[in-house]
Amino acid sequence: MIKHIPILVQVALLSMAVLIPLLRGNKAAKSKGITVALLFISSVFLLILIRDVRDNGAFVYNFGNYESYIGIQYSVNIFSAFMSFFVITLALIIMIFSTKDIDHEISRQSISQYYTLVLILLFSMVGMIFTNDLFNMYVFMEILSLTSCAIISVKSKKENYLAALRYLVLNTIGSLSVLLGIALLYMVSGHLNMSLMGQSISLIWQLYPTNILIATGFMLVGFAIKAAVFPMHIWLPDAHSNAPTPSSALLSSLVVKIYVFAVYKILFDVLGKDIVVGLGIPGVIAVFAASGMLFGSIFAIGQKDIKRMLAYSSVAQIGYIFLGLSLMTEAGLAAGLFHVVSHGLMKTALFLSAGSIIYYRNKRDIRQLDGIGVEMPVTMVVFAIAAMGMIGIPGTNGFMSKLYLSFAVLGAGQPLLLGVILLSSYLNAVYYLPIIISAFLKEPKSKNITMQVEVLPWPMLLALVTVGILCLLTGFYPKLVMDIVTQAAKIFLSA
Amino acid sequence: MNDFLINLANHMNYIAAIALFVIGLYTVLTHSNLLKKVIGINIMETSVFLFFVSIGFVNDGSSPIIDLGSLGKIYVNPVPSALILTGIVVAVSITAYSLSLIIRLYKAYGTMDLDEIMAMRSEVNHD
Repeated sequence: MIKHIPILVQVALLSMAVLIPLLRGNKAAKSKGITVALLFISSVFLLILIRDVRDNGAFVYNFGNYESYIGIQYSVNIFSAFMSFFVITLALIIMIFSTKDIDHEISRQSISQYYTLVLILLFSMVGMIFTNDLFNMYVFMEILSLTSCAIISVKSKKENYLAALRYLVLNTIGSLSVLLGIALLYMVSGHLNMSLMGQSISLIWQLYPTNILIATGFMLVGFAIKAAVFPMHIWLPDAHSNAPTPSSALLSSLVVKIYVFAVYKILFDVLGKDIVVGLGIPGVIAVFAASGMLFGSIFAIGQKDIKRMLAYSSVAQIGYIFLGLSLMTEAGLAAGLFHVVSHGLMKTALFLSAGSIIYYRNKRDIRQLDGIGVEMPVTMVVFAIAAMGMIGIPGTNGFMSKLYLSFAVLGAGQPLLLGVILLSSYLNAVYYLPIIISAFLKEPKSKNITMQVEVLPWPMLLALVTVGILCLLTGFYPKLVMDIVTQAAKIFLSA
Repeated sequence: MNDFLINLANHMNYIAAIALFVIGLYTVLTHSNLLKKVIGINIMETSVFLFFVSIGFVNDGSSPIIDLGSLGKIYVNPVPSALILTGIVVAVSITAYSLSLIIRLYKAYGTMDLDEIMAMRSEVNHD
């Protein structure tokens, strides 16, 4: 039973996505209920899967009992089990928030369609995490890119159409270059299964170094476009800031991370550490990551729209994850994966609180936020916790991931990158601290405001408080996550 | 020189695929007409499909239907062709979705030209 959990979760997500359009009566309310209940059940099942993998070890799941060289295979290990649990749980929190927020953002008819799209999006994300087959990964990736564009354009405004189209065009270029890379690797190895491909490439890579280098180049560029690594990030600010708030949170904290996992799989499962180092790839990744960390923050400083600022901040944070990846050490990989989790939590908290401000006061401009902490204390406390995490103030998960990353950088003997991390943290402070200061310390424009808890609908408050507590929890007890991601990093390096 | 030409002719599929890929990418990046961008994407998709199918081709191979009568027969690798069938479905859905977005954009802005749309948007922002 337990070994079927990954596919059962996927089947449940997909079948509910198909069933939602067939509902009668109050479609919006029913689809919200179905989505939240289904995500809750899925996260419980994935928790059971994590326990099982921890106790009994990793296993592979062959579809239809075909041998791995001909059929599709899922690789279930501590990495894939934990990351899919993380994705589903964070999506659950975001969906609880969305039950009230989405009514304000999109028209009534498209609410049930929105949940269909979200369920298909989650289906493809879970698939991409578990799959051990390159072409299967490509198919899931295309489903993911179509649905992630669709949850932007579901808000029927012309800005959203344009943002979705630009995202789609760049996403497709990325997918095609990944597919070309897959073709080149298939050419030299004759397999599509990642483990088998890895075995044959480790034997023959010195015969076809050019082929493998070109393939890796195409694939890394493709994934870099999709994960918004610095010079390829141009689609991200429009897409993430125009989307409805729950979509922004999903896209920024989960979708871009899935492509990071794909890069992990390609570099370590398919190619292997020795070949990647032999081809000189880590240095290239480090340069792009470091420039993203600095320039993403510099662009964010100039933004006036709060969601646009958060979107640019994502560009910088993706740089941290790729910096951890580029070190090619166990500590570096674990720090990168830890930052995937902590940035997911922080960015969700930031987007949800920004969404609450827009919902409650209809303010998007950073300069209008004077004294908003008095009007909306809970929202702004959550915002402040997450923003402090972004800056790296002790007690938050952002501090822990920066600490782990700094130790990893020093352990790899590259102190220059430590300077980049510190400078980037300073730049984060430049644009996050003024918001906290003006929210809590400046006088509000209208004088007659008394301090009281804002009257947001309870699901929104529940989601905000939960994600804020999770930020602090992973900050005070980082071992909860770090132990798991260290094991995951060991799996990647031993493959 | 002669060897080079023969080599070139033998790898015509790959060369054509790469040429199409570059043509498609050039079309996507340089044309401001959104419809032409979608056409460029389609050219890129075709090029990758051509490349993928060419990998599976075996010289003098027959179609991969097992014929028990003739032993030692060489077959073409059927896997890439099967994969590309899926790829074509994906390509069609992307084209359909992007065309529907373009229709909505045309209704909203009255033009399909990205430069004109951007000019309109910047005018709105200045007001």
